[in-house]
Amino acid sequence: MGWRWFHQWGSPRWFYERAARWQWMCGWLALIFLLSGSIWGLGYAPVDYQQGNSYRIIYLHVPVAFLAQAIYAVMAACAVALFVWKMKLADVAMQSLAVFGFAFTVLALASGAIWGKPTWGTYWVWDARLTSMLILGFLYLGLIGLRSAIDDPDQAGKACAILVLVGTINLPIIKYSVEWWNTLHQPASLKLTEKPAMPASMWVPLLVNIIGYYLVATYLVLGSMRATVIMRERRSMWVKELVKRV
Amino acid sequence: MFEFQFASITAFLTMTPHGLHVWSVYLIGLLIICGLILSVKGRHRRAIRQVQRKLELEELDES
Repeated sequence: MGWRWFHQWGSPRWFYERAARWQWMCGWLALIFLLSGSIWGLGYAPVDYQQGNSYRIIYLHVPVAFLAQAIYAVMAACAVALFVWKMKLADVAMQSLAVFGFAFTVLALASGAIWGKPTWGTYWVWDARLTSMLILGFLYLGLIGLRSAIDDPDQAGKACAILVLVGTINLPIIKYSVEWWNTLHQPASLKLTEKPAMPASMWVPLLVNIIGYYLVATYLVLGSMRATVIMRERRSMWVKELVKRV
Repeated sequence: MFEFQFASITAFLTMTPHGLHVWSVYLIGLLIICGLILSVKGRHRRAIRQVQRKLELEELDES
């Protein structure tokens, strides 16, 4: 066995053939998790004694904010894989991830702004957490723009990988912004190292939704990567045979 | 743990006084995610069609 599992990721064909099954599985699991987590959180989780029902926005806001940052971290890992192992799929993944990272950042900012109105009395403040998330959104936008500005896919991939690696400095800033600076934003709702401050009836549906949104993101990224693989490998025999069969 | 927290479906839908905030967030979320799913499905279909068209053109050139 050894490193075979890792080297297989170097083959676009290997990925394309398996990703359809993974995508199908992620799609159905995401539907189950998101439906149960959202119904649980919206209807069955207890009312917050301070924020009332407005806190139910947490069941969308926290998962998408986690995702927006996690996607960037995965892009950084892909950038390293592109430079170290020259993996074609790492670049394909970076290209797909940027679009979804941007979409989830916009959703995190929009849901946070709408939650901010009843909680803080304002949609927006130039606070460290909000501003660093906005910068993350601009980073994603910059990556999408940079890729479309360079015609040669190899050059575009390398340029994007450099920008991704430079931008990783923003991730610890987002994470620790609520501790380093005085901010209106509350500290993290869920931590791996500590028991959550809220009761299980509130955080379990949140966890279910976090898993659900990660599954949705995996579904989307796999689908987008499969389309990109087809386009980039259009001159190879396996793609020509594949499109003839469809 | 599994007790419905609202007196009626109307109370659930209005979520007094935060219904507008809560439901607008979920509506935006639903629209964005559905849009992304549709765009991914469309991209894959378009990619296959584009390669098929190129192959057809190549075959025409050869003949």
